[in-house]
Amino acid sequence: MQTDLIPVMQEATEALIRHLLASEAFINYQQAQSHLHQDTEARALLDQPAQLQANLRKKQANGGVAQAEIEALRELQSQVQRNHTITAYAQTQQAAVNFLREINNEISQLLGINFASFANHTTC
Amino acid sequence: MDFIKNDLDLAPRSVVLGVARDFAAALAETPQFKAFEQAAGRFRQDQEAQQVMQAYQQKQHALRALLMLNAVSTEEQAELERLHHVFVTHPIVQNYFEAQTELASLCQTLGDALSESIGLNYAAACGVSCCG
Repeated sequence: MQTDLIPVMQEATEALIRHLLASEAFINYQQAQSHLHQDTEARALLDQPAQLQANLRKKQANGGVAQAEIEALRELQSQVQRNHTITAYAQTQQAAVNFLREINNEISQLLGINFASFANHTTC
Repeated sequence: MDFIKNDLDLAPRSVVLGVARDFAAALAETPQFKAFEQAAGRFRQDQEAQQVMQAYQQKQHALRALLMLNAVSTEEQAELERLHHVFVTHPIVQNYFEAQTELASLCQTLGDALSESIGLNYAAACGVSCCG
């Protein structure tokens, strides 16, 4: 369900978005995201472990995973961890998430409710 | 597109936190938030509403282990359902739930606007699961 926003709330939301995007944490995150999008090798490397893991799970269910395949997965995971574009992306994303949590705490303290909990669509 | 960090365009942490406080102040002035605060206050202060809530919660707690094992007797299950019905149909409780739903709808709209613009799911990033 979407609620129409009153002008004051609309302006306050736009201001928060503008300032979040201009914060150091989000500028770094956007920059790392942009580098990742441009780096086809890093993107391909990111996809490979998930694909290999899925294949191994299927094989495991049928009882036949070779040691060489497990080592290949470990080597791929190690390559991912050594890739500068990927690690920069992961680190800046975590910094942006941490900053967002700080922002949410600030909002929630003033309101006396956890704003993120109310903003969450998922229910049990 | 490449981003060049420019100190003049950078919003310092303290400024962003200040804008977040302005956002909270604007939200606190909305009819939905005011209605929620009023309904929550009435719920907290109404003895009868608190009693029906406690009666339901106590029964639920007492039967928790049996509920997990699917081993509650028909009579106990009926009693739990009766207490739940008394709780959720109490006018003060109903008013509270309605106000909570209205406020959640507003917060979800705001959260969606934030998520779409910043490229991160706001609620998920803040560590909120389905149980809050």
